[in-house]
Amino acid sequence: MSEIQMSEDRSEERAGSEQRPATSGSRTYDAHFQVWRGDTEGGDLTDYTVEVNEGEVVLDIIHRLQATQAGDLACRWNCKAGKCGSCSAEINGRPRLMCMTRMSTFTEAETITVTPMRAFPVIKDLVTDVSFNYVKASEVPAFAPPAGVAPGDYRMAQVDVERSQEFRKCIECFLCQDTCHVVRDHEENKTAFAGPRFLMRVAELDMHPLDAADRQHQAQEEFGLGYCNITKCCTEVCPEHIKITDNALIPMKERVADRKYDPLVWLGSKIGRRER
Amino acid sequence: MQTHKYDVVIVGAGGAGMRAALESSTRARTAVLTKLYPTRSHTGAAQGGMCAALANVEEDNWEWHTFDTVKGGDYLVDQDAAEVMCKEAIDAVVDLEKMGLPFNRTPAGRIDQRRFGGHTRNHGEAPVRRSCYAADRTGHMILQTLYQNCVKQDVEFFNEFYVLDLLMTPDADGVEVASGVVAYELATGEIHIFNAKAVILATGGFGKVFKTTSNAHTLTGDGMGVVWRKGLPLEDMEFFQFHPTGLAGLGILLSEAARGEGAILRNADGERFMERYAPTIKDLAPRDIVARSMANEVREGRGAGPHKDYVLLDLTHLPREQIDAKLPDITEFARTYLGVEPYTEPVPVYPTAHYAMGGVPTNIEAEVLRNNVDVVPGLYAAGEVACVSVHGSNRLGTNSLLDINVFGRRAGIAAAEYALKAELPELPADPQVMVEAMVSTLLTSTGAEKVNVIRTELQNTMDRNAQVFRTEESLAEAEAEIHALRARYADVAISDKGKRYNSDLLEAVELGFLLDLAEVLVISARNRKESRGGHAREDYLERDDVNYMKHTMAYRGADGEVNLDWKPVVVTRYQPMARKY
Repeated sequence: MSEIQMSEDRSEERAGSEQRPATSGSRTYDAHFQVWRGDTEGGDLTDYTVEVNEGEVVLDIIHRLQATQAGDLACRWNCKAGKCGSCSAEINGRPRLMCMTRMSTFTEAETITVTPMRAFPVIKDLVTDVSFNYVKASEVPAFAPPAGVAPGDYRMAQVDVERSQEFRKCIECFLCQDTCHVVRDHEENKTAFAGPRFLMRVAELDMHPLDAADRQHQAQEEFGLGYCNITKCCTEVCPEHIKITDNALIPMKERVADRKYDPLVWLGSKIGRRER
Repeated sequence: MQTHKYDVVIVGAGGAGMRAALESSTRARTAVLTKLYPTRSHTGAAQGGMCAALANVEEDNWEWHTFDTVKGGDYLVDQDAAEVMCKEAIDAVVDLEKMGLPFNRTPAGRIDQRRFGGHTRNHGEAPVRRSCYAADRTGHMILQTLYQNCVKQDVEFFNEFYVLDLLMTPDADGVEVASGVVAYELATGEIHIFNAKAVILATGGFGKVFKTTSNAHTLTGDGMGVVWRKGLPLEDMEFFQFHPTGLAGLGILLSEAARGEGAILRNADGERFMERYAPTIKDLAPRDIVARSMANEVREGRGAGPHKDYVLLDLTHLPREQIDAKLPDITEFARTYLGVEPYTEPVPVYPTAHYAMGGVPTNIEAEVLRNNVDVVPGLYAAGEVACVSVHGSNRLGTNSLLDINVFGRRAGIAAAEYALKAELPELPADPQVMVEAMVSTLLTSTGAEKVNVIRTELQNTMDRNAQVFRTEESLAEAEAEIHALRARYADVAISDKGKRYNSDLLEAVELGFLLDLAEVLVISARNRKESRGGHAREDYLERDDVNYMKHTMAYRGADGEVNLDWKPVVVTRYQPMARKY
């Protein structure tokens, strides 16, 4: 029986650390939040005062709001570990994952605003219609296996694999798409511009050592690489710390430029094409 | 209400669902329904790798892999299924590479492999390097790769469609066949009927019955719950895996890859305690053994921290470059959630509910069983929702990514081939009735109970009474509490009465499934008076092959009660032996 008793104690304690005010030594305070409430018809910031415990992240506070004050508040979330990309929002105007934003990064006196991603149409409260991104995703042709190499006989160097692995860390939270001024402030660009996430996807495929498709032409002509003027906003908001601009977009621009303007590369590509 | 017609409808867009869709969509008209978006599924959280006996870095073969899987599952594994999985593992890895997945490489440019818990050379001699991996993002990269290839094949996705009912229709001989599903569209609140020749369930697990879990919010066992309410059985539900290295107090997972790369578990005295429990493979013993050893260290007073309630995962002796290159996520989790710097400090860890070994019983063609022998025509299941059973009473690390690829593929092929031969079954009369009633009852309820209160109490009792160690008393207490909570659930009300993105409603429905499944888990666990794999009874410490080397089959009775039966284990090559590491 004493053993059961012990496990009971442990579980109480874990409950405390997550949901209840403070065991010894940890701090609890009331924070002032402004959360955007509304739908397609419009909406506004609503004020809330919510309890905050040590170690919590913004998503914890949103959950506490749902549980105690605003049962009809809509938000997406899933893994609560920064891996699923669901809980994207703008916190004090800055695109962030709610689950990876620690409350300790704010002062206790600060008013914290939570608003939906601005680049996408609102469905309700913090939930936006992100289908634009899935349309763009569907336009990027998948990996093209190399001709003449049997599956299982692929040989690649680790250093080359790592280049595309960095871009593969993307969790498709779409914060980079949200922050990119090419679409954030210019709805009309959405048709011609795929956004940093999908230009990075094209770069990832271009840098895959064995991909057989022509990605450079696509990047420029179909996905609007030229619209990007490398302000690095996407890199700044990436929760996976992918160097989107430096490692994907700029090299891709260089590859496109080489091909377009370097006479030797141009000649080589023509000869190459003729041989086929 | 809208009605859609397809050859094959797949429920769930994680690894198993999308792997099935890749096969099914080339053969038959296929729709994939997901409660989330395809790249949000929990497959994406799998970090460590996918085992296959490629023998790229040292001698290995699929038979050794099969043996490890059977022994790891404490001999409750159906050995025919394990053979299939371990044999087809090699092609499964090659298929993913062909789809563009960038696995880590050896110096010779081949797919690199690393060690993982319970995977050994020559029947337990020493750890073997068998896990193929892509940094510590293997699951994430598999999910993305499968999604991109689904897009390439024009698979139709219905995103944020929550499936709440399975439709069955009697055929000419009076046998109930699958005829579709009923889904609730989250964005609009509209109900959709999907009439299909074949249905594949790939909805994942139900870790949310526990409080401390690595599982995402979405893992509420909907697929199992839907099947259960149709009177179909659930198999081996008492076997739940507790992953050793959850972040203490939070349950967020630190991959077993950490130990594969050389990290060591230590108690408060700094002792490498796994040397006492598994002298040969130490920290790389299977998860059930490591989790129990950790829990035992804590209850014998050797836990670390101010409350002595966790142990420590020590990476400090590993080179920083190795940590950065192989385990980047782990360091980020520790820093963000615990404020611990893994380069210099050990990370507090404690077991966290991770994986359901049990689920919807299937055969090796992924066909769902209605009893010990007969299948439900047109109904398939793959991945964590299913119980084939390749994991027996304890799954080995990396075998879940393998499971979804091998049996997802098999389900996709089998369902499409069945659909090509079958006529579209007629829908039952008023197919939407059950779901409409469920939704309107919740929307109009004026009861006093709240979803989050009941859910918290459920999760607390499960953590307290049905976790790593169990006894008759603890399980009886859990069962009584679940019964009380079920009664209170009938009086649950929600505050969002709207149609648009009503997550309040969604969570209330999910809680219903969680209560059902928790009850099945606990009753199955009470009935199994032995300790085997992930099911450790302190009142029955030994494995009892004479009385219990058989699968539990749970059926829902006419009044909602749980009735239990057994199903024999398929043994092909390996007779049970004592499980030592």
